[in-house]
Amino acid sequence: MLKTYLLLFYEFLKTGLFSVGGGYATLPFLFHMTEIYDWFTKEELTNMIAISNITPGPVGINMATYTGYTTAGILGSVLSTFAVVIGPFILALIVIYFLNKFREAKLVKFIFKGLRPTSCALLSFVAIQLIIQDVFNDAKLNNLIQSFNLKAFLLLIVLFVLYKYLKSNPSLIILAGAILGFVFNLF
Amino acid sequence: MKKVSLWQIYKIYFIIGLQLLGGGYVIMPLLKKYLIEDNSYLKEEDLIDYLALSQCLPGLIALNISVFSGYALRKVKGAIMAVIGLVTTPFIIILLVASFLLKISDNIYVQSAFFGIRLSIIVLIFSMVADIFKSSVNSKFSRFVFLLIFILGLFSFMSPTILVILSVLISIFYYKMKEEKNA
Repeated sequence: MLKTYLLLFYEFLKTGLFSVGGGYATLPFLFHMTEIYDWFTKEELTNMIAISNITPGPVGINMATYTGYTTAGILGSVLSTFAVVIGPFILALIVIYFLNKFREAKLVKFIFKGLRPTSCALLSFVAIQLIIQDVFNDAKLNNLIQSFNLKAFLLLIVLFVLYKYLKSNPSLIILAGAILGFVFNLF
Repeated sequence: MKKVSLWQIYKIYFIIGLQLLGGGYVIMPLLKKYLIEDNSYLKEEDLIDYLALSQCLPGLIALNISVFSGYALRKVKGAIMAVIGLVTTPFIIILLVASFLLKISDNIYVQSAFFGIRLSIIVLIFSMVADIFKSSVNSKFSRFVFLLIFILGLFSFMSPTILVILSVLISIFYYKMKEEKNA
């Protein structure tokens, strides 16, 4: 049990410290966890992303709370939430002390020029992994074609088009997904 | 600037946390309302500076801005109260959801709804990728980094932590090379 607490702390500390750009930047780290631990599946994680979108709070914090609770109870949820918050918290305090120096440093600015494309690339893997999970039923590369789920593919296209009509409102597209998923599975 | 009580700071960020739906940037108008318009604890320029800084730091944007603004109100204690206030509501809601969701997740109707919801999430992430790509993959160097990380990640399943550290090292290396060229 102690080992679980330590692992939870370690993983969420890393997630907090290395995710740059806010919002979905924690997702690549969370998806990586599904590959090395059995804390939650990719499917559960995706469901949680949806829940985070319709409840208050950033997805990174929500996921830490959720994972901590499902793997190690209330104490686990407090610990993981603390871990995801504490790294950036200390870093932000340090930055306040060196505020002006930090903002003018050209090297720091340049590093961020490299970090943003990295965030972008990492996030695109998340999208690819999700497509493999839900459109190809989580198949391995050698039997992708047999596992192709036409229903999911069509629904995905419909949602893409709908998203434009819903003026890119995340809550509305999640609601639309819930209704259409429900209707599609009746047939 | 008026001196703000720690309890007051907690209350303000608690109310903000309650309304924090969607991405981290949603916190900006909320901070503006509670810290500037209702109470004039801070100036608007301060908030914009905090946003710029938060974007340059790791961690969640809403959280970083809360640390900066809480610090401006009552130093370290203020920052701690701000963060605790901000996460109170999400924390309680997720605990409720986690215990509730585990019970209903076997239901076939709930599963079909979540099947559609997961596809919506794919759409959301794709549009996010497109947004970041447009705004930040716009030079030779950024295109190079994007391609490199994409290829490395796709074929080797390296952990995101290693890829982030690698991109920092590449940026430093490239910057030093450019500096030497100019010198």
